[in-house]
Amino acid sequence: MLDFDAINADKILTRYDIKMESSEKPETIAARILPKDPALKKVAEDVMNLKGKLIEDDVKAALKSNAPEIVIQDGLLKGMDVVSELYGRGIYYLPHVMVAADAFDKGMKLAEGAMSTEKKTKGTAVMHAAEGDPHDIGKNIAAVLLKSNGYKVIDLGRDVLVDTVVDSVLKNKPNFVTGTALMTTTMSAFPRITAKLAENDVHLPFIGAGGAVNREFVESFDMGVYAVAAKDGPHLAAKIVDGWSWHRLREKWDDIIAGKI
Amino acid sequence: MALKNFTKMEYGSADEIVFGDAKYPLSYGLGLKVGAGFVSPEINFAPRPGTEKTVERLVKEYVDYITTDIMNRAVTLGFPSLQLENEWIHQMGNDPKKYAAPVVAGQKAVMKKFNEEYGVACAIRHTCADPRLAEMGLREGMDKTHMYPEKTIESFEVAAENGADVLSVETMGGKEVADYAVVRQDIRGWLFGIGYLGSIDMAWIWPQIVDIAKKNKIVPGGDTNCAGANTSMFMAGGYLDKDIPRTFSAVTRMIASARTLVAIEAGATGPDKDCGYEGPVLKAISGRPSAQEGKGAQDAHADLMGNLMAHTCDLWSNESVEYHSEFGGSSVQCWLGVIGYEAALMNAAKQLKQDKILRDLYVASDRFRCPEGFCICFDNAYQIGQAIVDNGKSYYLRSKAAGLKAAELVQASNDKGRLKLSKQEKDTLNKILTDLNSLPDEEGKFVDWALKEYKNVPAFNPKNYEL
Repeated sequence: MLDFDAINADKILTRYDIKMESSEKPETIAARILPKDPALKKVAEDVMNLKGKLIEDDVKAALKSNAPEIVIQDGLLKGMDVVSELYGRGIYYLPHVMVAADAFDKGMKLAEGAMSTEKKTKGTAVMHAAEGDPHDIGKNIAAVLLKSNGYKVIDLGRDVLVDTVVDSVLKNKPNFVTGTALMTTTMSAFPRITAKLAENDVHLPFIGAGGAVNREFVESFDMGVYAVAAKDGPHLAAKIVDGWSWHRLREKWDDIIAGKI
Repeated sequence: MALKNFTKMEYGSADEIVFGDAKYPLSYGLGLKVGAGFVSPEINFAPRPGTEKTVERLVKEYVDYITTDIMNRAVTLGFPSLQLENEWIHQMGNDPKKYAAPVVAGQKAVMKKFNEEYGVACAIRHTCADPRLAEMGLREGMDKTHMYPEKTIESFEVAAENGADVLSVETMGGKEVADYAVVRQDIRGWLFGIGYLGSIDMAWIWPQIVDIAKKNKIVPGGDTNCAGANTSMFMAGGYLDKDIPRTFSAVTRMIASARTLVAIEAGATGPDKDCGYEGPVLKAISGRPSAQEGKGAQDAHADLMGNLMAHTCDLWSNESVEYHSEFGGSSVQCWLGVIGYEAALMNAAKQLKQDKILRDLYVASDRFRCPEGFCICFDNAYQIGQAIVDNGKSYYLRSKAAGLKAAELVQASNDKGRLKLSKQEKDTLNKILTDLNSLPDEEGKFVDWALKEYKNVPAFNPKNYEL
């Protein structure tokens, strides 16, 4: 056996991730986003610092001096804004986002319970993993990211029949539908869904994603809009609720995904 | 049925482990020998989307196009031997008699024709689908809607009766908890999901697969934790990815090795599944032949251990490629060329008795590229295997021991300045060590705690595991 420790690994590989590690401290980035009000700041920090055990007490305290809408907007959502910023810069990893979203959810339940009217959401998504496909981790991550960005999610689960998706869309009238697939032979359910929606005169963006799915395939059928990863969901959703059609989403797709617009 | 657990290593030392040789070689199919001083390519493929719409179209795709193309190219390039792998698509597993039987029989007929005409040694592995859904029930009689547990078992029977030489599967047990844990970076949850629940599910399904294989005089190959550890590895990704720290994925992989070992304990003889990157640990413990993939599987995914993964393989795989045209022929022909030539290099090294040098060069190239690759290097894999067999009788304790040993090896190399880690990877590693060390020494106490801690995980039903 050779002496492996004798190798100068720097000559055969470059750890670009270590080279590019952010020099800016998370606290400095957070300070630019966090609210000034001490009670709201505490709520936002609980989300940012993944403090699921503290958040319920802190939301209750914030509700004593703030309307529930303010606690949501300037406390909970600000906390998620910090999380998104840190994730975007590569300081936070996905599990930070997921655990922060768990804390966010706990806080939201309390704040929503204190509201006199139903909370307004930015829009609604019907989500599913394709018929015959048991892989749904990507869909679950995308659902968390959409929910923590203010969207209502109707999650139909995995291995979902085409007709179940169509029925849900007709019943719930969402802004968009998502479908994910890991296998090439299950993603063929996507165009069957959009064809049935068209038969019912429903025309809305169908975001297709997943390991086996590619842009060429998703754009081969009407309504299809491709997403590379779960993090693209909120960007595409923002445009959809702004009234963008699937045609326009496709046309400007590169810029949306690159975060240029 | 109680299975016989490994409590000692089949190899006396790490240095004995090398590609192309296994302590328990195999001979099967149409003259194929595996682990008997030779490496063969294993080519895997997927049909084009849309071909699943009718049985006739699917058979044409698999038999007339894919299998025929592969056999033609093997002869064209002078490869003396090869294995094919058919990973079943959903339609085949959902209606095995209608969709799978003609495909399996048709592929074998083409292979026989080439074997008789040219003498090319070959065999085919059928990796049946495991579509079972935890929320519907993993055991027979539980899923009244889809009957997936029954269809899974039926799939092996149909494959075995119609021409499969090797049976394999990528089982899904424990995935519902592992998925929940991996996105929360919760190593204790992952240990419970894959190390414990996954092992219990393997101990249920694998004796059945082994019985079917024995009845049909074919080979029960092995499993892979594709559904768990590969999810973790792909999320960890490369240096631009920030979904899972690579120290986390490394430890999940090593925990998975204790789980995948259960197939061999149930009677699987190898070759295990190519996408099980836990293969080097399994080979170190069991001496069974191993299929692996790395740089020749760039058609399916990128990983940070492309050369390294070849160092203990007995079959060298491309993972999977969708059938389509390339400049050099069809995709299966091109990728067979990539893996077939690599196998030829390994076989030349073996003939000239330079195989251990080549093994070490494969390792040297990628040893410090990522923590997962570091753990899989044969010397470290051997130590992790030893930790597993030292705790061999408890699924929980051996999985925990594998995870702890992996974390300690990574930390020791980082402390020496060899394996570099990012800040996030280091923080995660420290938390893993703290979390695993805080767990009880008794399986019962751990299970009691975990059942409470994870009771609200979506789709988790203890009855799937008889708990």
